[in-house]
Amino acid sequence: MTFTNIIQNNARPGHYECTVIENRALSRRYYLLVLSRPREMTNPEPGTFVHLLVPDANRFYLRRPFSVLDCDDETISLLIVEKGEGTRIMRRIEKGRPIDIVGPLGSTFPKVPGKRVLALGGGVGLAPLYYYGVRREAKDCETYRLLYGARSREDLFVDGFDWALDGVSFSTDDGSHGFQGNIVEFAQHEFEQSQVDVIFSCGPNPMLKAAAEFADRVGVPHYVSLENRMACALGACRSCVVLTRNGAIRYRTVCNDGPVFDARELVWKELPQA
Amino acid sequence: MVTNNDISVTLGPVTFKNPVFIASGICGYGEEYSPLVPIEELGAVVTKTITVRSRLGNPPPRIHEVPTGALNSIGLENVGLEAYIRDKLPLLRDKRVGVIVSIAAEFEEEFVEVADKLAPLDGYKGLELNLSCPNVEEEALDHGRNPEFVERITRIVKERVPDRALLVKITPNVTDIGEVAKAAEAGGADGISAINTVVGVDFDLETGKPIFHRGSGGYSGPGILPIALQKVWEISRAVSIPIVGMGGISSVDDARKFFIAGATAIQVGTSLWVDPELTKNIIAALHEHPEYLGTGTAE
Repeated sequence: MTFTNIIQNNARPGHYECTVIENRALSRRYYLLVLSRPREMTNPEPGTFVHLLVPDANRFYLRRPFSVLDCDDETISLLIVEKGEGTRIMRRIEKGRPIDIVGPLGSTFPKVPGKRVLALGGGVGLAPLYYYGVRREAKDCETYRLLYGARSREDLFVDGFDWALDGVSFSTDDGSHGFQGNIVEFAQHEFEQSQVDVIFSCGPNPMLKAAAEFADRVGVPHYVSLENRMACALGACRSCVVLTRNGAIRYRTVCNDGPVFDARELVWKELPQA
Repeated sequence: MVTNNDISVTLGPVTFKNPVFIASGICGYGEEYSPLVPIEELGAVVTKTITVRSRLGNPPPRIHEVPTGALNSIGLENVGLEAYIRDKLPLLRDKRVGVIVSIAAEFEEEFVEVADKLAPLDGYKGLELNLSCPNVEEEALDHGRNPEFVERITRIVKERVPDRALLVKITPNVTDIGEVAKAAEAGGADGISAINTVVGVDFDLETGKPIFHRGSGGYSGPGILPIALQKVWEISRAVSIPIVGMGGISSVDDARKFFIAGATAIQVGTSLWVDPELTKNIIAALHEHPEYLGTGTAE
Protein backbone atom coordinates (compact mmCIF):
# COMPACT_ATOMS: atom_id res chain seq x y z
CA MET A 1 0.00 0.00 0.00
CA THR A 2 1.21 3.49 -0.77
CA PHE A 3 -0.39 6.77 0.16
CA THR A 4 0.30 10.47 -0.06
CA ASN A 5 1.90 11.84 3.01
CA ILE A 6 0.83 15.33 4.03
CA ILE A 7 3.44 15.66 6.77
CA GLN A 8 5.98 18.39 6.08
CA ASN A 9 9.27 19.52 7.50
CA ASN A 10 9.85 23.17 6.67
CA ALA A 11 11.87 23.98 9.76
CA ARG A 12 14.88 26.20 9.24
CA PRO A 13 17.04 25.42 12.26
CA GLY A 14 19.71 27.61 13.75
CA HIS A 15 22.15 27.35 16.64
CA TYR A 16 21.36 29.83 19.42
CA GLU A 17 22.08 30.79 22.97
CA CYS A 18 18.95 31.43 25.03
CA THR A 19 18.47 32.57 28.60
CA VAL A 20 16.39 30.75 31.20
CA ILE A 21 13.41 32.94 32.05
CA GLU A 22 11.55 30.48 34.24
CA ASN A 23 12.16 26.94 35.47
CA ARG A 24 9.56 25.54 37.80
CA ALA A 25 8.09 22.23 38.87
CA LEU A 26 4.61 21.41 37.62
CA SER A 27 4.28 18.08 39.36
CA ARG A 28 6.39 15.32 40.83
CA ARG A 29 8.40 14.71 37.67
CA TYR A 30 7.34 17.41 35.24
CA TYR A 31 8.71 20.89 34.96
CA LEU A 32 8.23 23.91 32.78
CA LEU A 33 11.33 25.49 31.23
CA VAL A 34 10.78 28.90 29.66
CA LEU A 35 13.61 30.26 27.51
CA SER A 36 14.16 33.60 25.84
CA ARG A 37 13.44 33.30 22.14
CA PRO A 38 16.37 34.28 19.93
CA ARG A 39 15.34 37.11 17.62
CA GLU A 40 16.59 35.34 14.50
CA MET A 41 14.88 32.05 15.29
CA THR A 42 12.13 31.15 12.83
CA ASN A 43 8.69 30.41 14.18
CA PRO A 44 8.49 26.82 15.45
CA GLU A 45 5.43 25.08 14.04
CA PRO A 46 3.44 22.75 16.33
CA GLY A 47 5.18 19.38 16.42
CA THR A 48 8.69 20.75 15.97
CA PHE A 49 11.31 20.48 18.67
CA VAL A 50 14.49 22.09 19.91
CA HIS A 51 17.71 20.21 20.65
CA LEU A 52 19.15 21.29 23.98
CA LEU A 53 22.67 21.03 25.27
CA VAL A 54 22.73 19.91 28.90
CA PRO A 55 24.16 22.96 30.68
CA ASP A 56 27.11 22.92 33.08
CA ALA A 57 27.89 19.33 32.13
CA ASN A 58 31.08 17.79 33.45
CA ARG A 59 30.82 14.82 31.12
CA PHE A 60 29.79 14.09 27.54
CA TYR A 61 26.12 14.47 26.73
CA LEU A 62 24.40 14.27 23.38
CA ARG A 63 21.82 17.00 22.94
CA ARG A 64 18.27 16.30 24.17
CA PRO A 65 15.20 16.88 21.99
CA PHE A 66 12.14 18.64 23.47
CA SER A 67 8.90 19.46 21.67
CA VAL A 68 7.82 23.06 21.81
CA LEU A 69 4.97 23.52 24.31
CA ASP A 70 4.37 27.15 23.46
CA CYS A 71 6.13 30.03 21.82
CA ASP A 72 5.59 33.75 21.35
CA ASP A 73 7.80 36.61 20.17
CA GLU A 74 9.75 36.65 23.42
CA THR A 75 9.76 33.10 24.77
CA ILE A 76 9.85 29.38 24.02
CA SER A 77 8.32 27.05 26.60
CA LEU A 78 9.25 23.42 27.00
CA LEU A 79 7.63 20.69 29.07
CA ILE A 80 10.24 18.43 30.55
CA VAL A 81 9.96 15.19 32.44
CA GLU A 82 12.81 14.18 34.69
CA LYS A 83 14.06 10.89 33.28
CA GLY A 84 17.80 10.69 33.69
CA GLU A 85 20.91 12.64 34.57
CA GLY A 86 20.56 15.19 31.78
CA THR A 87 17.04 16.24 32.68
CA ARG A 88 17.98 16.20 36.38
CA ILE A 89 20.72 18.76 35.72
CA MET A 90 18.36 20.85 33.62
CA ARG A 91 15.81 20.90 36.38
CA ARG A 92 18.28 22.76 38.58
CA ILE A 93 19.35 25.40 36.08
CA GLU A 94 18.55 28.83 37.43
CA LYS A 95 16.82 31.82 35.95
CA GLY A 96 19.19 34.02 33.98
CA ARG A 97 21.56 31.21 32.97
CA PRO A 98 22.38 30.56 29.31
CA ILE A 99 21.15 27.49 27.44
CA ASP A 100 22.47 26.37 24.06
CA ILE A 101 19.83 25.19 21.62
CA VAL A 102 19.47 24.08 18.02
CA GLY A 103 16.06 24.51 16.44
CA PRO A 104 13.36 24.51 15.40
CA LEU A 105 13.63 20.99 13.99
CA GLY A 106 11.42 18.33 12.48
CA SER A 107 8.01 17.87 10.93
CA THR A 108 4.73 19.37 12.08
CA PHE A 109 1.23 18.18 12.82
CA PRO A 110 -0.66 18.85 9.59
CA LYS A 111 -3.21 21.53 8.97
CA VAL A 112 -6.55 19.82 8.31
CA PRO A 113 -9.03 22.52 7.20
CA GLY A 114 -12.63 21.72 7.98
CA LYS A 115 -11.77 18.61 10.02
CA ARG A 116 -12.66 17.82 13.61
CA VAL A 117 -9.51 16.82 15.46
CA LEU A 118 -9.28 14.66 18.54
CA ALA A 119 -5.80 15.01 20.09
CA LEU A 120 -4.46 12.49 22.59
CA GLY A 121 -1.60 13.57 24.83
CA GLY A 122 0.02 11.09 27.19
CA GLY A 123 2.40 12.43 29.84
CA VAL A 124 5.06 14.68 28.40
CA GLY A 125 3.49 14.05 24.99
CA LEU A 126 1.08 16.83 25.81
CA ALA A 127 3.51 19.49 24.56
CA PRO A 128 3.07 19.57 20.75
CA LEU A 129 -0.68 18.95 21.02
CA TYR A 130 -1.17 21.78 23.48
CA TYR A 131 0.86 24.03 21.20
CA TYR A 132 -1.21 23.10 18.16
CA GLY A 133 -4.41 23.86 20.05
CA VAL A 134 -3.32 27.08 21.64
CA ARG A 135 -1.85 28.58 18.45
CA ARG A 136 -4.29 27.20 15.91
CA GLU A 137 -6.11 29.44 13.48
CA ALA A 138 -9.65 28.84 12.23
CA LYS A 139 -8.35 27.57 8.90
CA ASP A 140 -6.11 24.90 10.48
CA CYS A 141 -9.04 22.70 11.54
CA GLU A 142 -12.75 22.90 12.29
CA THR A 143 -12.63 21.90 15.95
CA TYR A 144 -9.85 20.76 18.25
CA ARG A 145 -10.47 18.67 21.33
CA LEU A 146 -7.49 17.68 23.50
CA LEU A 147 -7.53 14.74 25.90
CA TYR A 148 -4.67 14.63 28.33
CA GLY A 149 -3.96 11.51 30.30
CA ALA A 150 -1.49 10.38 32.93
CA ARG A 151 -1.16 7.72 35.58
CA SER A 152 -2.56 9.81 38.38
CA ARG A 153 -3.47 13.33 39.39
CA GLU A 154 0.06 14.15 40.58
CA ASP A 155 1.34 13.68 37.06
CA LEU A 156 -1.31 15.84 35.44
CA PHE A 157 -0.32 19.26 36.79
CA VAL A 158 -3.87 20.53 36.26
CA ASP A 159 -3.37 23.24 38.86
CA GLY A 160 0.22 24.36 38.39
CA PHE A 161 -0.12 25.29 34.73
CA ASP A 162 -1.93 28.23 33.10
CA TRP A 163 -4.13 26.43 30.60
CA ALA A 164 -4.64 28.92 27.79
CA LEU A 165 -6.63 26.36 25.84
CA ASP A 166 -10.32 25.50 26.01
CA GLY A 167 -11.61 22.04 25.31
CA VAL A 168 -9.06 20.08 27.34
CA SER A 169 -10.26 17.03 29.23
CA PHE A 170 -8.30 14.86 31.59
CA SER A 171 -8.01 11.19 32.32
CA THR A 172 -6.07 9.22 34.90
CA ASP A 173 -5.42 5.52 35.03
CA ASP A 174 -6.38 5.44 38.71
CA GLY A 175 -9.38 7.79 38.35
CA SER A 176 -7.92 10.38 40.72
CA HIS A 177 -8.86 13.12 38.24
CA GLY A 178 -11.18 13.21 35.25
CA PHE A 179 -12.08 10.12 33.27
CA GLN A 180 -10.93 6.88 34.85
CA GLY A 181 -8.96 4.75 32.44
CA ASN A 182 -6.20 5.07 29.93
CA ILE A 183 -6.28 7.73 27.28
CA VAL A 184 -7.25 5.40 24.47
CA GLU A 185 -10.25 4.19 26.45
CA PHE A 186 -11.07 7.86 27.00
CA ALA A 187 -10.71 8.50 23.25
CA GLN A 188 -13.10 5.64 22.52
CA HIS A 189 -15.60 7.13 24.96
CA GLU A 190 -15.30 10.57 23.32
CA PHE A 191 -15.53 9.07 19.85
CA GLU A 192 -18.94 7.65 20.72
CA GLN A 193 -20.14 11.09 21.89
CA SER A 194 -19.00 13.31 19.03
CA GLN A 195 -17.76 13.35 15.44
CA VAL A 196 -14.05 12.93 14.85
CA ASP A 197 -12.34 13.22 11.43
CA VAL A 198 -8.66 13.12 12.41
CA ILE A 199 -6.69 11.88 15.41
CA PHE A 200 -3.40 13.35 16.61
CA SER A 201 -1.40 11.63 19.32
CA CYS A 202 1.84 11.98 21.25
CA GLY A 203 3.04 10.03 24.27
CA PRO A 204 4.76 6.78 25.26
CA ASN A 205 5.05 4.18 22.48
CA PRO A 206 2.60 1.66 24.01
CA MET A 207 -0.03 4.39 24.17
CA LEU A 208 0.66 5.41 20.57
CA LYS A 209 0.41 1.84 19.40
CA ALA A 210 -2.96 1.45 21.15
CA ALA A 211 -4.08 4.76 19.63
CA ALA A 212 -3.03 3.53 16.18
CA GLU A 213 -5.02 0.33 16.60
CA PHE A 214 -8.01 2.36 17.70
CA ALA A 215 -7.70 4.79 14.75
CA ASP A 216 -7.44 1.84 12.36
CA ARG A 217 -10.48 0.22 13.88
CA VAL A 218 -12.61 3.33 13.50
CA GLY A 219 -11.08 4.22 10.12
CA VAL A 220 -9.85 7.70 11.01
CA PRO A 221 -6.54 9.20 9.78
CA HIS A 222 -4.02 9.34 12.60
CA TYR A 223 -0.91 11.49 12.90
CA VAL A 224 1.51 10.63 15.62
CA SER A 225 4.58 12.31 17.10
CA LEU A 226 7.39 9.97 18.18
CA GLU A 227 10.22 10.39 20.62
CA ASN A 228 13.66 8.83 20.29
CA ARG A 229 17.27 9.25 21.26
CA MET A 230 19.03 11.40 18.70
CA ALA A 231 22.50 12.56 17.81
CA CYS A 232 22.54 15.08 14.94
CA ALA A 233 18.78 15.88 14.77
CA LEU A 234 19.21 16.84 11.10
CA GLY A 235 18.56 13.49 9.44
CA ALA A 236 22.25 12.99 8.79
CA CYS A 237 23.54 10.38 11.21
CA ARG A 238 20.63 7.91 10.94
CA SER A 239 20.71 7.17 14.69
CA CYS A 240 17.06 7.80 15.56
CA VAL A 241 15.37 5.71 12.88
CA VAL A 242 12.07 3.84 12.94
CA LEU A 243 10.93 1.25 10.44
CA THR A 244 8.34 2.55 7.99
CA ARG A 245 6.33 1.09 5.16
CA ASN A 246 5.03 3.33 2.40
CA GLY A 247 5.46 1.15 -0.62
CA ALA A 248 8.98 0.07 0.32
CA ILE A 249 10.16 -0.86 3.80
CA ARG A 250 12.78 1.55 5.00
CA TYR A 251 14.11 3.31 8.04
CA ARG A 252 13.15 6.94 8.43
CA THR A 253 14.52 9.38 10.99
CA VAL A 254 12.41 10.60 13.89
CA CYS A 255 14.41 13.85 13.89
CA ASN A 256 13.95 14.92 10.30
CA ASP A 257 11.33 12.74 8.58
CA GLY A 258 9.42 12.98 11.87
CA PRO A 259 8.83 13.44 14.71
CA VAL A 260 5.30 13.61 13.25
CA PHE A 261 4.40 10.64 11.04
CA ASP A 262 1.28 9.32 9.39
CA ALA A 263 0.55 6.40 11.74
CA ARG A 264 -0.30 4.13 8.79
CA GLU A 265 3.30 4.43 7.66
CA LEU A 266 4.89 3.08 10.83
CA VAL A 267 5.70 -0.61 11.30
CA TRP A 268 4.27 -0.70 14.81
CA LYS A 269 5.45 -4.16 15.79
CA GLU A 270 9.06 -2.99 15.31
CA LEU A 271 8.66 0.07 17.52
CA PRO A 272 10.23 -0.49 20.96
CA GLN A 273 7.47 -0.76 23.55
CA ALA A 274 9.64 -0.13 26.60
CA MET B 1 42.20 40.46 14.25
CA VAL B 2 41.07 37.98 11.65
CA THR B 3 43.98 36.71 9.62
CA ASN B 4 43.77 34.72 6.46
CA ASN B 5 47.03 32.82 6.21
CA ASP B 6 47.20 30.04 3.67
CA ILE B 7 46.37 26.81 5.46
CA SER B 8 45.70 24.70 2.40
CA VAL B 9 46.88 21.10 2.43
CA THR B 10 47.76 18.73 -0.38
CA LEU B 11 46.89 15.05 -0.39
CA GLY B 12 48.35 13.39 -3.46
CA PRO B 13 47.14 15.20 -6.59
CA VAL B 14 44.59 17.38 -4.81
CA THR B 15 44.76 20.52 -2.71
CA PHE B 16 42.16 21.28 -0.04
CA LYS B 17 41.68 24.87 1.12
CA ASN B 18 42.15 23.93 4.75
CA PRO B 19 42.86 20.77 6.75
CA VAL B 20 39.54 20.61 8.62
CA PHE B 21 37.15 17.94 7.38
CA ILE B 22 33.95 16.42 8.73
CA ALA B 23 34.25 12.67 9.26
CA SER B 24 32.13 10.13 7.40
CA GLY B 25 28.81 9.26 8.99
CA ILE B 26 28.49 12.50 10.93
CA CYS B 27 26.88 14.81 8.40
CA GLY B 28 25.14 12.36 6.07
CA TYR B 29 25.69 13.21 2.42
CA GLY B 30 26.74 16.72 3.41
CA GLU B 31 23.69 18.73 2.53
CA GLU B 32 21.83 17.70 5.69
CA TYR B 33 24.27 19.62 7.86
CA SER B 34 24.29 22.84 5.85
CA PRO B 35 21.69 24.59 8.07
CA LEU B 36 24.17 24.56 10.94
CA VAL B 37 27.64 24.29 9.44
CA PRO B 38 28.71 26.35 6.41
CA ILE B 39 30.05 23.27 4.64
CA GLU B 40 31.56 25.25 1.78
CA GLU B 41 34.03 26.70 4.28
CA LEU B 42 35.39 23.28 5.24
CA GLY B 43 38.44 21.67 3.74
CA ALA B 44 36.20 18.76 2.87
CA VAL B 45 33.11 16.84 3.83
CA VAL B 46 33.56 13.08 3.90
CA THR B 47 30.15 11.77 2.95
CA LYS B 48 28.41 8.81 4.54
CA THR B 49 29.86 5.52 3.36
CA ILE B 50 28.17 4.15 0.28
CA THR B 51 28.11 0.58 -0.97
CA VAL B 52 27.22 -0.75 -4.42
CA ARG B 53 23.74 -1.73 -3.29
CA SER B 54 21.69 0.26 -0.78
CA ARG B 55 21.69 -1.05 2.78
CA LEU B 56 18.85 -0.90 5.30
CA GLY B 57 21.25 -0.72 8.23
CA ASN B 58 20.89 -2.16 11.71
CA PRO B 59 17.66 -2.28 13.72
CA PRO B 60 17.43 0.39 16.44
CA PRO B 61 18.63 1.30 18.96
CA ARG B 62 21.58 2.67 17.03
CA ILE B 63 23.03 5.24 19.39
CA HIS B 64 23.93 4.94 23.04
CA GLU B 65 25.47 7.68 25.12
CA VAL B 66 28.23 6.98 27.64
CA PRO B 67 29.94 9.54 29.91
CA THR B 68 32.93 9.83 27.57
CA GLY B 69 31.21 9.70 24.19
CA ALA B 70 28.80 7.55 22.28
CA LEU B 71 28.47 4.04 20.93
CA ASN B 72 26.80 3.64 17.56
CA SER B 73 25.47 0.74 15.56
CA ILE B 74 24.20 2.25 12.32
CA GLY B 75 25.37 -0.62 10.11
CA LEU B 76 26.29 1.30 6.95
CA GLU B 77 22.73 2.30 6.10
CA ASN B 78 23.04 4.08 2.76
CA VAL B 79 21.20 4.82 -0.47
CA GLY B 80 23.57 2.79 -2.65
CA LEU B 81 25.98 3.91 -5.35
CA GLU B 82 23.49 4.65 -8.11
CA ALA B 83 21.19 6.82 -5.96
CA TYR B 84 24.22 8.55 -4.48
CA ILE B 85 25.53 9.50 -7.91
CA ARG B 86 22.08 10.55 -9.11
CA ASP B 87 20.67 12.33 -6.03
CA LYS B 88 23.38 13.21 -3.55
CA LEU B 89 26.62 14.07 -5.31
CA PRO B 90 25.05 16.85 -7.49
CA LEU B 91 23.75 18.69 -4.40
CA LEU B 92 27.25 19.43 -3.22
CA ARG B 93 28.79 19.96 -6.65
CA ASP B 94 26.53 22.97 -7.10
CA LYS B 95 27.67 24.34 -3.76
CA ARG B 96 31.38 24.04 -4.51
CA VAL B 97 32.01 21.95 -1.42
CA GLY B 98 35.16 19.88 -1.15
CA VAL B 99 33.78 16.36 -1.18
CA ILE B 100 35.48 13.11 -0.27
CA VAL B 101 33.32 10.11 -1.09
CA SER B 102 33.51 7.31 1.45
CA ILE B 103 33.08 3.86 -0.03
CA ALA B 104 32.96 0.31 1.27
CA ALA B 105 32.56 -2.99 -0.50
CA GLU B 106 32.64 -6.69 0.21
CA PHE B 107 34.53 -8.00 -2.78
CA GLU B 108 37.29 -6.85 -5.06
CA GLU B 109 34.88 -6.68 -8.02
CA GLU B 110 32.66 -4.30 -6.09
CA PHE B 111 35.55 -1.94 -5.40
CA VAL B 112 36.28 -2.03 -9.12
CA GLU B 113 32.64 -1.24 -9.91
CA VAL B 114 32.48 1.69 -7.49
CA ALA B 115 35.77 3.14 -8.69
CA ASP B 116 34.86 2.74 -12.36
CA LYS B 117 31.50 4.44 -11.92
CA LEU B 118 32.89 7.34 -9.89
CA ALA B 119 36.03 7.89 -11.96
CA PRO B 120 34.47 9.87 -14.85
CA LEU B 121 32.30 12.07 -12.60
CA ASP B 122 33.11 15.50 -11.27
CA GLY B 123 31.92 17.04 -8.01
CA TYR B 124 34.32 15.32 -5.65
CA LYS B 125 37.98 15.65 -4.82
CA GLY B 126 38.77 12.39 -3.15
CA LEU B 127 37.77 8.92 -2.11
CA GLU B 128 38.05 7.41 1.33
CA LEU B 129 38.10 3.63 1.47
CA ASN B 130 36.22 2.59 4.57
CA LEU B 131 37.95 -0.69 5.24
CA SER B 132 37.06 -0.70 8.88
CA CYS B 133 33.38 -0.45 9.75
CA PRO B 134 32.85 -2.45 12.94
CA ASN B 135 29.06 -2.51 12.71
CA VAL B 136 28.23 -5.01 10.01
CA GLU B 137 27.68 -8.74 9.79
CA GLU B 138 29.73 -9.30 6.69
CA GLU B 139 33.25 -9.93 7.81
CA ALA B 140 34.41 -8.87 4.37
CA LEU B 141 33.27 -5.32 5.11
CA ASP B 142 35.74 -5.21 7.96
CA HIS B 143 38.73 -6.48 6.03
CA GLY B 144 40.91 -3.57 7.04
CA ARG B 145 42.85 -5.86 9.34
CA ASN B 146 44.44 -7.73 6.47
CA PRO B 147 47.48 -5.82 5.08
CA GLU B 148 47.66 -7.85 1.88
CA PHE B 149 43.99 -7.12 1.08
CA VAL B 150 44.41 -3.44 1.97
CA GLU B 151 47.34 -3.09 -0.42
CA ARG B 152 45.58 -4.85 -3.28
CA ILE B 153 42.32 -2.87 -2.96
CA THR B 154 44.15 0.43 -2.59
CA ARG B 155 46.08 -0.26 -5.81
CA ILE B 156 42.95 -1.30 -7.73
CA VAL B 157 41.10 1.87 -6.77
CA LYS B 158 44.02 4.25 -7.19
CA GLU B 159 44.64 3.02 -10.74
CA ARG B 160 41.09 4.03 -11.62
CA VAL B 161 41.03 7.44 -9.93
CA PRO B 162 44.62 8.69 -10.35
CA ASP B 163 43.59 12.35 -10.30
CA ARG B 164 41.74 12.22 -6.94
CA ALA B 165 43.04 12.04 -3.40
CA LEU B 166 42.75 8.45 -2.22
CA LEU B 167 42.51 8.04 1.54
CA VAL B 168 42.43 4.68 3.26
CA LYS B 169 40.57 4.69 6.58
CA ILE B 170 41.95 2.11 8.92
CA THR B 171 40.81 0.58 12.14
CA PRO B 172 42.39 0.98 15.55
CA ASN B 173 41.20 -2.53 16.37
CA VAL B 174 44.43 -4.24 15.30
CA THR B 175 47.66 -5.18 17.02
CA ASP B 176 49.93 -3.23 14.69
CA ILE B 177 48.26 -0.32 12.94
CA GLY B 178 51.57 0.62 11.30
CA GLU B 179 51.50 -2.60 9.25
CA VAL B 180 48.10 -1.80 7.78
CA ALA B 181 49.15 1.80 7.08
CA LYS B 182 52.28 0.58 5.30
CA ALA B 183 50.15 -1.69 3.14
CA ALA B 184 47.96 1.23 2.09
CA GLU B 185 51.06 3.28 1.31
CA ALA B 186 52.50 0.46 -0.76
CA GLY B 187 49.21 0.27 -2.69
CA GLY B 188 49.51 3.92 -3.65
CA ALA B 189 47.28 5.67 -1.12
CA ASP B 190 47.62 9.45 -0.94
CA GLY B 191 46.86 9.45 2.77
CA ILE B 192 45.80 7.43 5.77
CA SER B 193 42.60 8.31 7.65
CA ALA B 194 42.79 7.19 11.24
CA ILE B 195 41.13 6.21 13.37
CA ASN B 196 37.75 4.67 12.74
CA THR B 197 35.63 3.98 15.83
CA VAL B 198 36.93 1.75 18.59
CA VAL B 199 34.95 -1.43 19.16
CA GLY B 200 32.98 -1.12 22.38
CA VAL B 201 29.96 -2.50 24.15
CA ASP B 202 27.59 -1.54 26.92
CA PHE B 203 25.03 -3.64 28.74
CA ASP B 204 21.51 -3.02 29.93
CA LEU B 205 21.47 -3.83 33.65
CA GLU B 206 17.77 -4.73 33.59
CA THR B 207 17.97 -7.28 30.79
CA GLY B 208 21.60 -8.32 31.25
CA LYS B 209 22.02 -8.01 27.49
CA PRO B 210 24.01 -5.68 25.25
CA ILE B 211 22.29 -2.40 24.37
CA PHE B 212 22.63 -3.08 20.64
CA HIS B 213 21.13 -6.04 18.80
CA ARG B 214 24.51 -6.74 17.26
CA GLY B 215 26.18 -6.61 20.66
CA SER B 216 29.23 -4.45 20.05
CA GLY B 217 29.21 -1.02 18.47
CA GLY B 218 31.60 1.71 17.42
CA TYR B 219 32.82 3.93 20.24
CA SER B 220 33.57 7.57 19.45
CA GLY B 221 33.75 10.91 21.23
CA PRO B 222 36.14 12.60 23.67
CA GLY B 223 37.04 9.34 25.40
CA ILE B 224 38.92 7.95 22.39
CA LEU B 225 41.20 10.97 21.96
CA PRO B 226 44.32 9.44 23.58
CA ILE B 227 43.83 6.20 21.65
CA ALA B 228 43.50 8.08 18.38
CA LEU B 229 46.55 10.25 19.09
CA GLN B 230 48.59 7.15 19.90
CA LYS B 231 47.56 5.44 16.65
CA VAL B 232 48.24 8.52 14.52
CA TRP B 233 51.61 8.86 16.21
CA GLU B 234 52.42 5.22 15.44
CA ILE B 235 51.30 5.59 11.82
CA SER B 236 53.39 8.73 11.37
CA ARG B 237 56.47 6.70 12.24
CA ALA B 238 55.50 3.88 9.88
CA VAL B 239 54.67 5.77 6.67
CA SER B 240 55.68 8.92 4.85
CA ILE B 241 52.33 9.75 3.21
CA PRO B 242 50.03 12.29 4.92
CA ILE B 243 47.73 11.27 7.76
CA VAL B 244 44.23 12.59 8.23
CA GLY B 245 43.79 12.27 11.97
CA MET B 246 40.53 11.91 13.85
CA GLY B 247 39.05 10.51 17.01
CA GLY B 248 37.63 12.46 19.93
CA ILE B 249 38.35 16.00 18.76
CA SER B 250 36.15 18.40 20.72
CA SER B 251 38.27 21.55 20.82
CA VAL B 252 40.94 23.54 18.99
CA ASP B 253 43.52 22.16 21.40
CA ASP B 254 42.52 18.57 20.60
CA ALA B 255 43.00 19.31 16.91
CA ARG B 256 46.46 20.78 17.59
CA LYS B 257 47.49 17.55 19.27
CA PHE B 258 46.80 15.63 16.08
CA PHE B 259 49.12 17.93 14.16
CA ILE B 260 51.78 17.34 16.81
CA ALA B 261 51.24 13.58 16.50
CA GLY B 262 51.92 13.81 12.79
CA ALA B 263 48.61 14.52 11.07
CA THR B 264 48.43 16.75 7.99
CA ALA B 265 44.68 17.24 8.25
CA ILE B 266 41.98 16.37 10.76
CA GLN B 267 38.39 15.22 10.77
CA VAL B 268 35.78 16.18 13.32
CA GLY B 269 33.07 13.70 14.24
CA THR B 270 30.88 13.05 17.24
CA SER B 271 31.54 16.39 18.97
CA LEU B 272 30.10 18.29 16.02
CA TRP B 273 26.69 17.00 17.08
CA VAL B 274 27.18 18.75 20.39
CA ASP B 275 29.04 21.84 19.13
CA PRO B 276 28.13 22.89 15.58
CA GLU B 277 30.70 25.72 15.78
CA LEU B 278 33.60 23.31 16.26
CA THR B 279 34.90 23.15 12.69
CA LYS B 280 34.51 26.89 12.29
CA ASN B 281 36.50 27.53 15.46
CA ILE B 282 39.30 25.17 14.44
CA ILE B 283 39.55 26.74 10.96
CA ALA B 284 39.67 30.23 12.50
CA ALA B 285 42.40 29.18 14.94
CA LEU B 286 44.49 27.69 12.14
CA HIS B 287 44.14 30.82 10.01
CA GLU B 288 45.42 32.81 12.93
CA HIS B 289 48.15 30.32 13.89
CA PRO B 290 49.29 28.47 10.76
CA GLU B 291 52.26 27.34 12.81
CA TYR B 292 49.93 24.83 14.45
CA LEU B 293 50.19 22.86 11.22
CA GLY B 294 53.24 20.91 10.29
CA THR B 295 54.34 20.44 13.85
CA GLY B 296 54.45 16.65 13.54
CA THR B 297 57.81 16.35 15.16
CA ALA B 298 56.92 14.44 18.31
CA GLU B 299 59.50 11.70 18.75
